[in-house]
Amino acid sequence: MYPRPFRYHRAASIREAVSLLAELGEEAKLLAGGQSLIPLMKLRLASPHHLVDLNFIPDLSYVRPEDGLLRFGALTRHAEVEASPAAQQIPILHDCAAGIADVQVRNRGTLGGSLAEADPSGDWAPVLLTLPTEVVCVGPEGERTLPLAEFFVDAYTTVLRPAELIREVVVRRPPPGSGGAYLAVKRSAPVYATATAAVQLMLADRETCSEAGIALGAVGLTPIKAAEAEAALRGQRLTPDTITRAAEAASAACDPQPDGRGSAAYKRALVGALVKRAIALAARRARGEQVEVSHIYA
Amino acid sequence: MPAKRNIRARKPAARKAPRPKLEEAAQWVGKPLPRKEEGRLVRGKGKFVDDYELPGMLHLWLVRSPYGHARVTHIDVSQAEAQPGVVCTLTGPEVAKLVRPFLEIGPEPGAKIVDYPMGVDKVRYQGEPVAAVVAETALAAADAAELVRVDYEPLPAVVDPEDALRDATLLHESAGTNVVWQGEFDYGDVDKAFQQAAHIVHIDRLHFHRFTSAPLEPNAVIAQWDPGEDFITFWCNNSFPAFAIQFLALALGIRIDQMRVQTYDIGGSFGIKITNYPYMALCALASRKAGGRPVKWIETRTDHMTASAHGNERVFRSTRVALDTSGRILAIESRHIDDCGAYPRYEPLGCIIWAQVLPGAYRFRNYRVRFTQVTTNKCPVGPNRGYSRMQHLWFLERVVDICAHALGIPADEMRRRNYIRADEFPYTTPNGCVYDSGDYARMLALAQERIGWDDWKEKQRRARAEGRLVGIGIGTTLDSGTNNFGQSRLLNPNAPFSGQSGVAIVKLGIDGNISVSLGSVPQGQGHETTSAQVVADVLNVTPELVSVRPGFDTERNAHTGHSGTYASQFAVTGLSAAHGAAQKLKAEMKRLAVFALNAKEDKLEFGMGAQGPEVRVRGSDKAIPYWGLANLVNVNNAVLPAKLQDVTLNCRYVYRPPFRLPDLKRKYGNLTLTYSAQLHIAVIEVDRDTYVPRILDYAVVDDCGRVVNPLIVEGQVHGATAHGIGAALLETCSYDENGNLRNATFSDYVPITSVNMPTLRTGHLESPSPFTFNGAKGMGEGGGAPLHAISAALQDALYAQGVIIDDSHNNASSLFHLLERTRAGRAAQIVRVESRAAAARR
Repeated sequence: MYPRPFRYHRAASIREAVSLLAELGEEAKLLAGGQSLIPLMKLRLASPHHLVDLNFIPDLSYVRPEDGLLRFGALTRHAEVEASPAAQQIPILHDCAAGIADVQVRNRGTLGGSLAEADPSGDWAPVLLTLPTEVVCVGPEGERTLPLAEFFVDAYTTVLRPAELIREVVVRRPPPGSGGAYLAVKRSAPVYATATAAVQLMLADRETCSEAGIALGAVGLTPIKAAEAEAALRGQRLTPDTITRAAEAASAACDPQPDGRGSAAYKRALVGALVKRAIALAARRARGEQVEVSHIYA
Repeated sequence: MPAKRNIRARKPAARKAPRPKLEEAAQWVGKPLPRKEEGRLVRGKGKFVDDYELPGMLHLWLVRSPYGHARVTHIDVSQAEAQPGVVCTLTGPEVAKLVRPFLEIGPEPGAKIVDYPMGVDKVRYQGEPVAAVVAETALAAADAAELVRVDYEPLPAVVDPEDALRDATLLHESAGTNVVWQGEFDYGDVDKAFQQAAHIVHIDRLHFHRFTSAPLEPNAVIAQWDPGEDFITFWCNNSFPAFAIQFLALALGIRIDQMRVQTYDIGGSFGIKITNYPYMALCALASRKAGGRPVKWIETRTDHMTASAHGNERVFRSTRVALDTSGRILAIESRHIDDCGAYPRYEPLGCIIWAQVLPGAYRFRNYRVRFTQVTTNKCPVGPNRGYSRMQHLWFLERVVDICAHALGIPADEMRRRNYIRADEFPYTTPNGCVYDSGDYARMLALAQERIGWDDWKEKQRRARAEGRLVGIGIGTTLDSGTNNFGQSRLLNPNAPFSGQSGVAIVKLGIDGNISVSLGSVPQGQGHETTSAQVVADVLNVTPELVSVRPGFDTERNAHTGHSGTYASQFAVTGLSAAHGAAQKLKAEMKRLAVFALNAKEDKLEFGMGAQGPEVRVRGSDKAIPYWGLANLVNVNNAVLPAKLQDVTLNCRYVYRPPFRLPDLKRKYGNLTLTYSAQLHIAVIEVDRDTYVPRILDYAVVDDCGRVVNPLIVEGQVHGATAHGIGAALLETCSYDENGNLRNATFSDYVPITSVNMPTLRTGHLESPSPFTFNGAKGMGEGGGAPLHAISAALQDALYAQGVIIDDSHNNASSLFHLLERTRAGRAAQIVRVESRAAAARR
């Protein structure tokens, strides 16, 4: 790898990381798992003058259950989430963690890094948007907690301020009767998905959907919360008709770009198909079924 | 040296166990021996070009064109040269003064193309080098390369081969046209066959897409131009160095024996490293300019994808197929346009190499094609695995398959009616090639049995009743091996190439150890193992006792101008040479043993004794170990009689296949020695909602004659299948209209991985070749069978929907659009059937 020259800084604490960022300004980048940044530096598409390494800060990597919440340290690796019994109780989290790229990426890449990178194809964002999720950020002015729904601004752009970083991600555990599923179509494991769909449902009487979260990935500049698709399910019995209506609403909500993964029209059709399947899987899980979910590899 | 031992006649040692019977040693050929190479490769101890660190070594970094087509108006290297660690630079105009343009293989107009190792006044593909920076470290060179200022004047690009034919945008002004070569091939009586046809099927356009091999190791060179000796040493991964040195000597203005080329372990070539010699030239020039310090260049992945070599793209236009009432193909007529990218390099050989398999596996005798090759503003092509034959065989398989669907004949029945029959081998094709052996109908039956054909037909019927899109496709393909370079004369009557050869040196060393030097350039094909098996059988020893030198080295003198690894030929040229050299050695050893043991030659036995390999007198205790024979020749030769003074125990053998020059007027002659075959059956479902094509089942039957090592053959079959499935469903080099490659990284190109691979049901048939010493045929390229089988399976899945599979690459998105167009009634009318009852009656 032949990146442009940069200076490496190892932060010993979050406070130090923040002050380094504040001091070094826009020419500094945070190094978490490095699974997006390092390839960009390799191709010289990104050339930060300074790297601030977070990997040696203690206690930034954990999955901690607490009063109906699940707290994730920003540096928790995808593989740690995949292996965490607490996270496995929320199947959609396990679908996501276990399906990210390949084992090397999962061993290095971090949850906080994925959200902060805000890649339109990132996996965590659509999944966490279907659950009540908050992001705890630390900056020079202190700490603030934001709903994830307000976190993304544009492709690769979040509301994080200069010198601000994610410390923790807090997910509210869904109540009993809930189930979710995350599905992606990918051409192979390590490449970005063509489209993804995350669906989290709560069923009132095994049939009627009392709450629905539907979010889409890789089909817009940011992850898309498909509110109309959610509305099409909320308070409805899960019949083929209502599911089709939700899938159509999701197709209408996405805004895909044509690229090597597929044309815009194809991706729109694909989103509908994925949402339909994810609803069916989520409903089965909401009814207490154990269902293995795997992405679709073309 | 054990001087005191009596080496002329050893007294029998006290033996407890009975000695193994001599001349009954195991037959090593045919055994699934694990590869000798594995030991170092699996432990990470392989030696690749990038592993070499030489004293004083410098690093070269290339400045490459961001444009597909542009005029280079100005280059300024002054800032780069001023950087710390930078030793020198090279620019296109400077290189053009230092070298002659590379030789063009073809005649005019292609021969008028001027090809330098760097773009000079123009760049013709994205990634073409325009300057180089040489520095103490690769990082310093990369940093300084960003400071080379190049002014470009962008030109319109031409990326479509049919557009290129119009010559509206010219790549090479010196040639005056984008056409590299064109020719007419006409065999049998095509017009008469069409007059007699019961059905004529018209296929407007078929397209074979551009893809590459993506070897794990990109191109790599270290060159050192020693100023004192005026001698260049190359450490490289070129896979056809004997060809490269002929090109390099002419370009650099030196003699071939002023160069030494070495390879060691190579992380795959698949043919495309044959054309990395321009980079060898650049490193040599850089070394000379740097005062003779060695210069290393390691290609990055992105540069490899953009600017190393891709496979040939081909368009098949206005195809007409004449068939009789029962669906037997009588004649095919077509127009083929091959796209070789920006420079021909190894081309236009691809314009003739397809003709090795002109009728594919089929019996038709009448064939006419107008074949044209053009340049476009894309990466130059290289002979990518299955080179040129794969494109043609895909075309034939599409033709057979489309005709079967059009006439309502089941795909397997259509093939059985048209296959060359087992009793017709050796079979002479309409253009004079001789297929050595085979049984395609039996391969089909075996593949059908492996996949459970009837079962799948039933499952397919039920799936279709549920509205599912399930297809079953057959791909029959040939892997022609050991090419006759005489075919180059069909392109260029003045080409000074013909025939083929393989070289090996088998030596009994001073200490009696057996070593083998080969003229091949192994890149994972297990040459060390298979040649050890062959030599072990001749000399009645175990393969562990045969050490085969890894890699290639011109200084071993085990090469001719044909030497390299390409054209599925090692099992024939390489192993025949090893076999011949081992036999020569054995003959010398016999002569020595006759003297040493004072015995008659027909009483001698070779084999393992209690203390290693020995020659014994049958029925007696007289024996001499191999090291004893070596001792006589190498360090104890005063005892030798005059009649044995010619014995060297260092035996070089050149194997030459019995080729002749083809008849240039008729374009007729034998172009290849052996024909391995593969038959694949794919079962695929196109998901009705996601359009993702999923392989439900997959069978592969291969026939490469006598199998030298079943493990290695199986590995090659798996590799070739993965390569083809990747090409069929994932991998395509996608250019925009300006000649920008859209997918130059692995994350965009998506090389096939294990999650994309089905479990293969493999089967084997052995039709020994009558033309090789042990019945083996070359194999490994695989003939692109998955492309044929997958296109056919998709066709079968979607024919009822009105879809014609007209492209070798299909993915979920393209299948979505094919189905959308037919749903909207906008499907292109690619195929038309003309049936003539009157003709049918005749």
